Amino acid sequence: MATYALRRILQMIPLLLVISLVIFGLTALQPGDPVDQLIFGNPRITPEDIARLREAYGLNTPWPQRYVSWLLRAFQGEFGYSRDFGIPATQFIFTQRLPNTLLLTIPALVISTLIAVPLGIYSAIRQYSTLDYVLTFLSFVAFSAPVFWIGVMALYLFAVYLPQVTGGAIALPPGGLGNLSPEDGFWPFWLDRLKYLILPLSILMFREIAATTRFMRASFLEVIGQDFVRTARAKGLPNRAVIFKHALRNALIPIITILGLSIPGLFGGAVLTETVFSWPGMGRALLDSLVSKDFNVVMLCLMLLAILTVVFQLLADLAYALVDPRIRYS
Amino acid sequence: MKEVSLKKVLTLSALLLAPAVLAPALAGPANNSLIVGTSQEPPNIYDPWVTNNLAITSEINNWMGAALTGLDNEGKLYADMATTVPTTANGGYKLVKDAKGKVIRNSLTYTIRPDAKWSDGSPITVADFEFWLMVQNDERVPVPDRYPFENAKITRGANNKTFTITFDPPYLFAEQAGAPGVAPSAAMKAGWDAFNAATKGQKPSDAVNEQWIKFLNQYTTSNNLPKVVAGPFKPTAWRPGNSLTMTRNPNYWRKPSGGESKYLQTVTYRFIPNTNTLKVNVLSGQVDALATVGLSFDQAIDLQRGQRKFSTYFVPGAVWEHIDINTRGQKAKDLNLDDPNVRQALLYAIDRASLVKALFQGKQPVSNVFINPLATVYKKDVQTYPFDPAKAKALFAAAGWTPGSDGILQKGGKKFSLNFGTTAGNSVRERVQQILQAQWKAVGVQVNIQNYPSSVFFGADFLSKGAEGKWDLAMYAWTANPIFEEGDLFKGSGVPTEANGYAGQNNSGWVNADYDKLQLQARTEFTPAARNKLFDQMQTIWAKNVPSLPLYYRVNPYIQANGLANYDFSAYTLYPTWDAYRVGWTSKGAVSAHKQKE
Repeated sequence: MATYALRRILQMIPLLLVISLVIFGLTALQPGDPVDQLIFGNPRITPEDIARLREAYGLNTPWPQRYVSWLLRAFQGEFGYSRDFGIPATQFIFTQRLPNTLLLTIPALVISTLIAVPLGIYSAIRQYSTLDYVLTFLSFVAFSAPVFWIGVMALYLFAVYLPQVTGGAIALPPGGLGNLSPEDGFWPFWLDRLKYLILPLSILMFREIAATTRFMRASFLEVIGQDFVRTARAKGLPNRAVIFKHALRNALIPIITILGLSIPGLFGGAVLTETVFSWPGMGRALLDSLVSKDFNVVMLCLMLLAILTVVFQLLADLAYALVDPRIRYS
Repeated sequence: MKEVSLKKVLTLSALLLAPAVLAPALAGPANNSLIVGTSQEPPNIYDPWVTNNLAITSEINNWMGAALTGLDNEGKLYADMATTVPTTANGGYKLVKDAKGKVIRNSLTYTIRPDAKWSDGSPITVADFEFWLMVQNDERVPVPDRYPFENAKITRGANNKTFTITFDPPYLFAEQAGAPGVAPSAAMKAGWDAFNAATKGQKPSDAVNEQWIKFLNQYTTSNNLPKVVAGPFKPTAWRPGNSLTMTRNPNYWRKPSGGESKYLQTVTYRFIPNTNTLKVNVLSGQVDALATVGLSFDQAIDLQRGQRKFSTYFVPGAVWEHIDINTRGQKAKDLNLDDPNVRQALLYAIDRASLVKALFQGKQPVSNVFINPLATVYKKDVQTYPFDPAKAKALFAAAGWTPGSDGILQKGGKKFSLNFGTTAGNSVRERVQQILQAQWKAVGVQVNIQNYPSSVFFGADFLSKGAEGKWDLAMYAWTANPIFEEGDLFKGSGVPTEANGYAGQNNSGWVNADYDKLQLQARTEFTPAARNKLFDQMQTIWAKNVPSLPLYYRVNPYIQANGLANYDFSAYTLYPTWDAYRVGWTSKGAVSAHKQKE
């Protein structure tokens, strides 16, 4: 297994190099650059000004050359400055945005998995029961209701309507990160942060629970229909042992893949939740930097997502062996 | 088992909602603070050289910045850091003429108030203006343009509080906007010396730019708040992505009527990028006012209904919404778009009066020319084109265009079919497009809507490439301060071409020798009456030629809680923060010095 893991890690290097080349090329080739934004709306700007700005922003060299220089610096851990925020891109992402995203996505993933896996199993075991129908209905609601709509509705309900009808007894903040700083004290700070976290976390979990429940249900239904489960039952094993000892471990394999891939997906995919709830995380950073052509931040965000994807895919593959002893990598 | 699971779910939900009872503290006059909501976060603040600027940056900078002179809501100059506004009458503004009476240079003399101090208590002196000008004109510094300071010189007066700035060649708007910027030279010295040493003798490059960002980020970012400012407020906390807080600067020299304690003590900007969420924040009372970078026109109209705690204002702005007609390229020639009569026909065929009534409740007035009505050079009686489909048809017919069997105008086997583009996702513009498309169809003009993301639309490969036939009609807006109108949007030398590196904003490609001659004359005409006369002729020519279809002047919607005083603006001041030192709550004793005009 160690050899397998090492081989996979070594394979990641050329893979990440190709990914970096592709995303750098695509980013560089997208229409418009930061200078265009300065030219437009400024009738006084001269051709000399334009040439000077392009030189100043290093845009007068071909993109492959820029890529090589970016890559050489990246190997040394240098990802350049954010043109928009005036600070190193790594500082912007790792100290300002990533912690907020982790605060939102890790609880969302953990809690939603803890809720969705039992719900999915229950739905499969009691197929066509009332709760199965209710869960199916809720899943479709979660899939079909766009975050930007359901999020705003939740904001309106908890920040405007309920405070009005309950005289302020129930009131959640209408978006944002919080009012307090760590200097205001540990508990006040975290209680304040929790208050701001409830709505975005709930909305993000809503979709995660819906997706994982459906996958878990489908996977479990497939497994309990297989011969080895029937054999286990025929041998007279108790229902609990059949379900948890034989069926569950097999049904978890596809779920591990999905969870493995959903972790990097959550980092980038939380963009809508982060936007609706004004939660300053990675998703918003990626979107804003793409719009404003803040290339260094774009590259760092996308490379981070690429690294997370390949690493979590490897971890998912390795986890297969833990849940299914039939799988061997040696 | 079913019931147990449901109970679990309900219990979990209740646990999640438990802290909800801890309702957030409300903003407002209770603690003499102001919370402003905005949909944009500034990249940095208090960059004296504006090398990375957005509207929201300018708006926030007004709280912390000070200038020698400023413009009020009426467009009149007032003295802030200067003891007085230099004018020709008091001898502070001087024009030097040659033997023929032509102005060859002009200058402004300023005296800095003796009590003008930086927030750290150190005096503001001529050195701070010299430092600003030196950096502004340094080749390594990526300012977008250096106009009008590239040829400006500062000469010290009798002491370190008096100086003269001279423009040679002269700067037409020196009297209104010739005051140089200011930067804390002492506080920035070490940083500047380091930049200077690291980049000495180097040409602009990515590496030099990085050094510049390093220098600037010591004083302007969320991690390094400006250490020294000059204005009525100073920054105290910036939580990236969330909020920026400023507190009153006791060292600011102008004192509001009744004393500072009766006015705002803290101001917080909350960054809420989603405008629907911003709207919820208004409804829930979490913000006291919105920045000018806030809600869309539609959302403001919607909020205006049934609001008691807030007032919604629609302030005339200096933003001109229009449709450029591409007069360049083979297709333009084939369709006679280079013929003014055909362009006039396009304008006669659309009912702009009904459009602004239907979409904007008539709040955005119809425009007939590219100059803002607030500008002194605006011509009131310019030729207008009221909705007249019969006249439009006649003009098309005179140019040889007759309706085909499908009702679309045809000539020589060619259909009068135009590609009409604007910024995709702008719902207001997209609705305007559909209305106009239907109106043009009624006179036989086929319009195909082709929209693009704004990065593409305003990028290097679209608007400026009219000669390549990339578009026929392009709808967008221009913002211009009505005071500094130079008529340069439509000058012939402003047509973007390969030869000039696609510089210039005359995207329609319209060139008129008479207009160019007058525009050149107006640029150096220092007598207001004579200048007005030149602009009068320029607008007559423009309105006859209609290189662009003028649509309407945009108004800027914004919202503020009732009882907030002196938080208002106009097309001259651009932001409600221009009079920051006396913004306050009337319930706390703030005296209202001016009111919002609509």
